[in-house]
Amino acid sequence: MPAPQEAVAKEVIRVADVVKRFPGKHAVNALEDVSLSIGEREFVSILGPSGCGKSTLLRIVAGLVPHSEGVVQVNNRAITKPVPEIGVVFQSSNMLPWLTVEQNMMLGAQLRKIPAESIAPKVRELTRMLGLSGFENNHPHELSGGMRQRASIGQILALDPSILLMDEPFGALDALTRDLLNVELLRIWQERMQTVLLVTHSIQEAVFLSDRVLVMSARPGRITHDIAIDLPRPRRPESIKGNPRYGEYIAQISQIMGVY
Amino acid sequence: MKRWIEAIVFWGLFALLWEYGVALFGIRSYLMPPLSKVISAGWQERELILSESWVTLLEVLVGFVAAVFGGVLLGVAIHFNDFAKRTLYPFITALQSMPKIALAPLMIVWFGYGFASKIASTFLFAFFPLVIATLGGLSGIAANLDEHFRALGASRWDTFIRLQLPSALPSFVDGVKIAMPLAVIGAIVGEFIGSEKGLGHLMTLATANAQTDLMFAAILVITFLASMLYWGVEVLSRAVWWRGKTA
Repeated sequence: MPAPQEAVAKEVIRVADVVKRFPGKHAVNALEDVSLSIGEREFVSILGPSGCGKSTLLRIVAGLVPHSEGVVQVNNRAITKPVPEIGVVFQSSNMLPWLTVEQNMMLGAQLRKIPAESIAPKVRELTRMLGLSGFENNHPHELSGGMRQRASIGQILALDPSILLMDEPFGALDALTRDLLNVELLRIWQERMQTVLLVTHSIQEAVFLSDRVLVMSARPGRITHDIAIDLPRPRRPESIKGNPRYGEYIAQISQIMGVY
Repeated sequence: MKRWIEAIVFWGLFALLWEYGVALFGIRSYLMPPLSKVISAGWQERELILSESWVTLLEVLVGFVAAVFGGVLLGVAIHFNDFAKRTLYPFITALQSMPKIALAPLMIVWFGYGFASKIASTFLFAFFPLVIATLGGLSGIAANLDEHFRALGASRWDTFIRLQLPSALPSFVDGVKIAMPLAVIGAIVGEFIGSEKGLGHLMTLATANAQTDLMFAAILVITFLASMLYWGVEVLSRAVWWRGKTA
């Protein structure tokens, strides 16, 4: 198991002393002196109470929201706007209701001006991998929430981003679907090995998936803990969930977050 | 099939009630003639009615299409331009609260007794709901989809064509459904106030000559025309099926 220091051999995401202020009468710093470093092919999760600014942090890294102070770099370049090497998956599905599932999965490539021919085989493969075969020509409203979210993830994965940012991608789903998608996500990640930053409020999800778990506090949003998850890979639910260390990590993080 | 029968029976009863009701209640013919008299008067003047209908239909269609283009263009301009939002939008809403019917005589003064003043009047009646519907549609775009497009680095044009336009269509279609009957009203009002042609003109003539039966025939034809136009819009609007569909 690589310790955090080794894992950041090649730094992909660098956030240093970032402050985010939302202007207003009762201005509170949404983020205060947040620093983090994510190495190539590292899977890092951010946990924190709601309102701690974890989603804001993700949007800052994605170039969707400007930060007030500090440094935000992706591959050594300052982030001022969204960049093509980053793919973002949000909590709500990104499907356009008037397009079919397949058209939706091709949309990202169209918007990024990637030729359709070059992406079509990838979309077909992802359709199969994500269990959407046979639904290519259906419209999103004919699918379950879980399938819509899978298609949303497929649309982003079809772009082959080297960095995947996910903001509670399974937050709106039921626990069972969520577990299933976590396993799928892990399988895909193990095959493709992107750098992943996942924002979640599920401790189990964070421990099961990540190399490192960052814990944030609220008002002001700060990273208070950086915990390396030393569990063997490839991980499968049956092997991990019986592992005593899995339970220990969950207990440790729960205690930190005061959930116990 | 059964629903057809219900409708036919309903309309049949309505026709019978009209035909015999007027005699039954002793309503005098110059106030409300029986249906058969209305139909025969209409049939007698069928060539006149047909040519006047054609004039009115043309006014409605041209004015309506102009209102759609103008309304959408202005709605888009106001939505995307802060200056227009600060200046043009309050101006439009002020204009909107003016009774359009009061402006119709002005249209006659400005554009004369012919076709142009009827187009102007039709446009005036149909234009505002289309601006408001376009604006409502454009401002009702789901924030998450907007952010998604930004994250994908979508160009402004792509965002407009692939996200904003289709998102705005259901609201726009609502506007079209409101504007269509208003366009007919606009044309008829224009014809009432000053014209030499059209169904509205025919009605004023029939009134002057105390031909209530012909007047009713004209009313029926206008109603039929407006219903067909609305039905056409309704059929076209089915292409925008994604209203309220979750995705």
